[in-house]
Amino acid sequence: MVDMPAQNPQRIVLPPHRERARRPRIVRFREWARRNLFNSRAGTALTIITAAILALIVYGVVYFVFVDANWRVITENRWLLFAGGYPMDQEWRLWFSVMFVFLLIGLTYGTWASLGRRDHLFIVLASGFAILLLAHGGAAIWSTIWYLIAVGLLYAGYAIMIRMPREAGPGRTLQQRSVAGLLIAALPIILIVLLAFGGARPRELEGFVLNLVLAPVGIAGGLVIAIPLALGRASRMRAISWTCTTYIEVVRGAPLLGWLFVALFILDDVIGGELIVRAMVVLAVFTAAYMAEYIRGALQALPGGQSEAAHAVGLNQFQSMQLIVMPQALRISIPPMVGQAISIWKDTTLVTVILPLRELKGNADSAIAQFEFTPDRIEAYVFVAVVFWVVAFIMSRISQRVEGSLGIGER
Amino acid sequence: MTQGIYVALTAVVIGYVYTSLDLREFGFGFLSEPAAFKVGNQWLTDVDGVTNSRITMYLVGVWSSLRAVLVAIALSTVIGVLIGVARLSSNWLVAQMAMLYVEIFRNTPLLVQVVLVYTILLIGAPLIENVVNVGDFFFISNRGMAMPWPVPDSGFWGTPDWFVGVWVAALLAIGFVAQRVRADRQGRERETGQPHYPNRWALGVFAVGAVISFFALGAPVSIDEPVIVGTHYIEGMVMEPEFTALVAGLTLYTSAFIAEIVRGGIQALPRGQTEAANAVGLSGYQRLTLVILPQALRQIIPSVTNQYLNINKNSSLAYAVLYDDLFRVANIVQNKAGHALEMFFVIIVTYMLISFAISVVMNFFNARVTAQRI
Repeated sequence: MVDMPAQNPQRIVLPPHRERARRPRIVRFREWARRNLFNSRAGTALTIITAAILALIVYGVVYFVFVDANWRVITENRWLLFAGGYPMDQEWRLWFSVMFVFLLIGLTYGTWASLGRRDHLFIVLASGFAILLLAHGGAAIWSTIWYLIAVGLLYAGYAIMIRMPREAGPGRTLQQRSVAGLLIAALPIILIVLLAFGGARPRELEGFVLNLVLAPVGIAGGLVIAIPLALGRASRMRAISWTCTTYIEVVRGAPLLGWLFVALFILDDVIGGELIVRAMVVLAVFTAAYMAEYIRGALQALPGGQSEAAHAVGLNQFQSMQLIVMPQALRISIPPMVGQAISIWKDTTLVTVILPLRELKGNADSAIAQFEFTPDRIEAYVFVAVVFWVVAFIMSRISQRVEGSLGIGER
Repeated sequence: MTQGIYVALTAVVIGYVYTSLDLREFGFGFLSEPAAFKVGNQWLTDVDGVTNSRITMYLVGVWSSLRAVLVAIALSTVIGVLIGVARLSSNWLVAQMAMLYVEIFRNTPLLVQVVLVYTILLIGAPLIENVVNVGDFFFISNRGMAMPWPVPDSGFWGTPDWFVGVWVAALLAIGFVAQRVRADRQGRERETGQPHYPNRWALGVFAVGAVISFFALGAPVSIDEPVIVGTHYIEGMVMEPEFTALVAGLTLYTSAFIAEIVRGGIQALPRGQTEAANAVGLSGYQRLTLVILPQALRQIIPSVTNQYLNINKNSSLAYAVLYDDLFRVANIVQNKAGHALEMFFVIIVTYMLISFAISVVMNFFNARVTAQRI
């Protein structure tokens, strides 16, 4: 125990752990450091070595970002990287979609979770990154304004939803149903805004916009195919379970690049259509096989008593699936599903490798193909990595919060 | 009834796909025609593609893939376990660094990692004219890293191939003997309770036997020193930047996932295991290797097997850095000869065979780990 100056002799004697908590911050910090950084001689050595490595890395990163790198390759090619061939006079469609998505994020957080201090910090940092990118060079003051409006919408949606009462009741049900409905309708709405009524042609979707379109289409389409596949694989009818098993195993047998090869050379004869549509079909079909396995795992993890109980209260097969089994199975399978969604998000880069589709990484290749920027290849790829990292990080954060509020993993 | 409708629908879909594909020229004969293209990144093979058939070139590509996959599996396992254990370290700084590693490499696309490493190697390394020469032994330039490499010579046995065959057979026999020694010592250790060092004895027997057999065969090995001719290394063992980039990317990406699996496996153990290990006075290293990891392996191995299968499939990203793996060679063949459907069939069968081999080996390990009662 550390000796405390007797400031107030009449104060109530607290239990030891409260007593410790009262000590000044510097003492508490010293104790924390002794316990977590310098707990033994070997621990001290480890801390010093790690700190040295960390210092080297930080020095390298700071030197690269602020001294060595020429970020003009990014700022000069903003439109190329983000929208590529999207018609410039239709820029408002892109901004509308961004605002819509930000509003949806706010609504979702307000309904099922709450924003903590770390979330606010992350939003501020990400916005700083975005504004640095948008406002740099001075030409695009309007995009900064649009972006700030989008962030404002995020907080507005959040503020409205967080004030709604969380207690179960008709109001809460209505709130949850409407936000969920909006989430489901979001993808078609955005596709309509981007493409229909004088928007871009499908092949003009390029750059980051293409990643942002391909990934949700792959995820949503995959989910739609995966549920019947998982049920089919577990089916008692031989023909159904065999075909579903064959589908899942064959699709998982080859890499995504191989299936994109199919989209390029073989699917042309089978379904035809735009290459981008074929890529979407392949992404959905590919994702479905993995998602079906996660759902099947969740179905197997459910106690058999659940469906028996459903039959006992007189539900038929379909009702027991829809009301008892599927909701629980889908809830269990949310964590691996989000993992798969993040994986598909990263895999959208692969369309660049063998298809003539240019997503963000492909357009980064185009940017550094300009003579002026050939020495700045590392900068371009680092930027691509950072952008993908930010979105993947947002996805994993949101899923953690939703999992927490749904009580997954707790029984 | 339902099944009947289902079968009919499936038949219609398959029939539609079948009729829409152009199958008049379906066949694998084109694979045995002369290749007429070159395949880079060869090691231990030397085919120029002039007289060799397309299937030979494809097999060379398969060998390149296998090399990258095996090295990436080994490296990512070691790094993944280290990072996974570090994430649970009592040292706050180490744990945070490990978390940073995982968060960075797990959430960025593998393609970008591979291409970024490749770009850094090409830009960052010195040109081959100003090659970095470490004691005439190790050479680093933007054409890759090169070092001397032992090459079998003829020795007492006619040709190099004979020597390699005989020595490998001898090594297998010595390995069998070492295994018997280990089992014997383990049995005695279990009976008497005295330490008999089974692993050290087995390793010692194997090492001594390997050295003796090597010299008994006349030590028929010469060392190939790398030489720079023009802008290329010849001889020696060369690690091209393509290979390094692919393996580094696969390793960084997969080790982040393996680290999370290892962490999850350790955290799933009851806390009592750690406390009991401390109570009987084991050191931190002993606690990890004797108590924690053997139990955590039961949960870790199935998930890690999945990651190995992912490494196998992700190795097709070699295409992005022009490393001539099986996928890229298959693409070249398809460009030259057409037959996309057949080539895809060949690709998927190859990947499935490699996956199958990995699964068999890992299931063997899994059976051994779960056979021990805890």
